[in-house]
Amino acid sequence: MTATHTSPQTNRTAPDKSAVLELRDVVREYPGIPPVRAIDGVSLRISTGELVAIVGPSGSGKSTLLNLIGTLDRPTSGTVLVDDVDTGKLNDSALAGLRAARLGFVFQQFHLLAGMSAIDNVATGLLYRGEPRRLRRARSIEALERVGLGHRLDHTPNKLSGGERQRVAIARALVGDPAIVLADEPTGNLDSTTSDEIVELLHGLHDEGSTIVVITHDRDLANKLPRRVTVRDGRLVDDSTEVVR
Amino acid sequence: MRGPWKSRLRPADVLGTGTVGLRTRRARAAFTALGIAIGIASMVAVMGISSSSKADLLAELDLLGTNLLQIRPGQSVFGDEATMSADAPAMIRRIGPVESASSISAIATTVQRNDALSSRNKNGIEILATEVNLTQTLAATVASGRAHDSASVRLPTVVLGAIAAERLGIENVDGGQRVIIGDRWFDVIGILKPLPLNPDIDRSAMIGLEAARQSFGVTGLPSTIYIRTDPTSVDAVRDVLARTASPGAPNEVDVSRPSDALAARAEVDKNLQTLLLGLGGVALLVGGVGIANVMVISVLERRGEIGVRRALGATRAHIRNQFVVESTLLSLLGGVLGVSIGFAVTTVYARRQGWLVDLPLQGLILGVLAALVIGAVAGLYPAVRAARLDPAEAVRPAA
Ligand SMILES: Nc1ncnc2c1ncn2[C@@H]1O[C@H](COP(=O)(O)OP(=O)(O)OP(=O)(O)O)[C@@H](O)[C@H]1O
Ligand SMILES: [Mg+2]
Repeated sequence: MTATHTSPQTNRTAPDKSAVLELRDVVREYPGIPPVRAIDGVSLRISTGELVAIVGPSGSGKSTLLNLIGTLDRPTSGTVLVDDVDTGKLNDSALAGLRAARLGFVFQQFHLLAGMSAIDNVATGLLYRGEPRRLRRARSIEALERVGLGHRLDHTPNKLSGGERQRVAIARALVGDPAIVLADEPTGNLDSTTSDEIVELLHGLHDEGSTIVVITHDRDLANKLPRRVTVRDGRLVDDSTEVVR
Repeated sequence: MRGPWKSRLRPADVLGTGTVGLRTRRARAAFTALGIAIGIASMVAVMGISSSSKADLLAELDLLGTNLLQIRPGQSVFGDEATMSADAPAMIRRIGPVESASSISAIATTVQRNDALSSRNKNGIEILATEVNLTQTLAATVASGRAHDSASVRLPTVVLGAIAAERLGIENVDGGQRVIIGDRWFDVIGILKPLPLNPDIDRSAMIGLEAARQSFGVTGLPSTIYIRTDPTSVDAVRDVLARTASPGAPNEVDVSRPSDALAARAEVDKNLQTLLLGLGGVALLVGGVGIANVMVISVLERRGEIGVRRALGATRAHIRNQFVVESTLLSLLGGVLGVSIGFAVTTVYARRQGWLVDLPLQGLILGVLAALVIGAVAGLYPAVRAARLDPAEAVRPAA
């Protein structure tokens, strides 16, 4: 990986360890006068089993980066590889297939489906894999139990607290055992106690072997995670694995 | 596992995703479906009512038969009243397929219940001199008493049509009812049942030819001749009838088939029916526009849901299908509701009219199919818009 980039880039992952995700010189420009360069030449490698925080101030390009990693958005230039596959060479429906099989998302706004029970919401995470309904429900119950919501299976989102909604969203991201879980501000709307619970949950999932990328503007939260990638003005300015606990 | 990866949605789940919007927004779904229901219901009701009325008329025709012809004098070439000769009935009877022929002639006099002067007003009842085989030719039956026979046609006896009896206030012939025709007393020996093909007969008082000659000294020329033919030769008889009845001036007599008038009534409402169907079509169109409208709003509102589904692996086709299925189901719901309402309206209306209920199955299927097509078409544009949403755009928190 000898891309020419201006950001200080410290890749501490052993080269033999397989990269589940790799960004090479990724640029994302939003059209406008003048155009907004939300991501400006980012290169990044994330290996299987890592728990990474992407941290940075508001407007630094974190959400844009998450959309690029999650293949919801395409870079203006540069390459995004998932499982060593160049996603730029995949068409829209192949990308959808990739997301269904390999990626799990937790959105800042939860984005749960109103009027549907917790189980049905979580089961939507398996819907586009073509698994039979009974299996989807069984795995959803498991996932909800994993996030400590075994007692709220049939509740609709409007009957759940903010923290519980966030857990349902996490369960939906996990239910398919994806290669990478991408979480945008997973504690953004929560009080500190609930937020700590969610961080504990993420640690637990990491210990079980999940690869997790957490986006946050919260330094304290970032410092609790093993690896921190700092973004500013669309560039990577720091990548550290020191334990700051 | 390395790519290529493929999203897959089971057929049952295609249907399932299509019902999400309906299940979570029930009131809206119900009102939207109602628009389609009204359109379909009115179209089905129009079809059902007109087809029931037609079926009823045709059943009545079947019963009455279509092998009765009648012939009347028309106008001469000089524009005055033409006449038929007295031997016309006999000549007509000589035509092979004619089963029976019977003439009537009008007598210029009146009939009253009693001799009080006050009742000598016009009651519109025509006095007819008839042959003995009239009831047989018209296939008339009596409601009370008996028809004329070869004895009664010579005596001062009268058979009343249904309306004539009603106007005279005679319900039955029990206890020897009598009426005054001209200035003579006649015994009422029978009352006929209504004759749908011959309303003139209903309004008349019938005496025998011989009795007419004795009482009024006239026989009159035939004013109408009724002809019952072999059902398979109606047209053949019809073709030769004028020439037979009036060999000198065949174009001065009018030949007609009374059942044709009844059959025409079955078609008479065509314009009204077209108008009503058109109105139903407009209602249906408005319903379809309503669905499209609601679907466009729904897609805007559900931007986040669309984004999440895309993130969870839905392809553009999956999103598009979800919304097309939703609008189709919505419309189908309206269609089924509309067909049921239309069926109910038809049944109630037809029962009230005393008709047979006849709703063509094609009409019902057509109603449901129309709803299906309208739903799919109405949903297409919103669905394509939903599918084209950029996933990154869709998951962005709403401002
Ligand atoms: N669709 C867009 N069109 C134009 N500019 C955009 C668009 N989306 C984001 N931007 C710009 O790109 C920059 C990065 O946005 P992004 O949403 O990635 O920031 P962020 O780091 O997630 O911020 P926050 O912490 O507030 O969520 C911002 O300056 C923003 O104005
Ligand atoms: Mg953001």
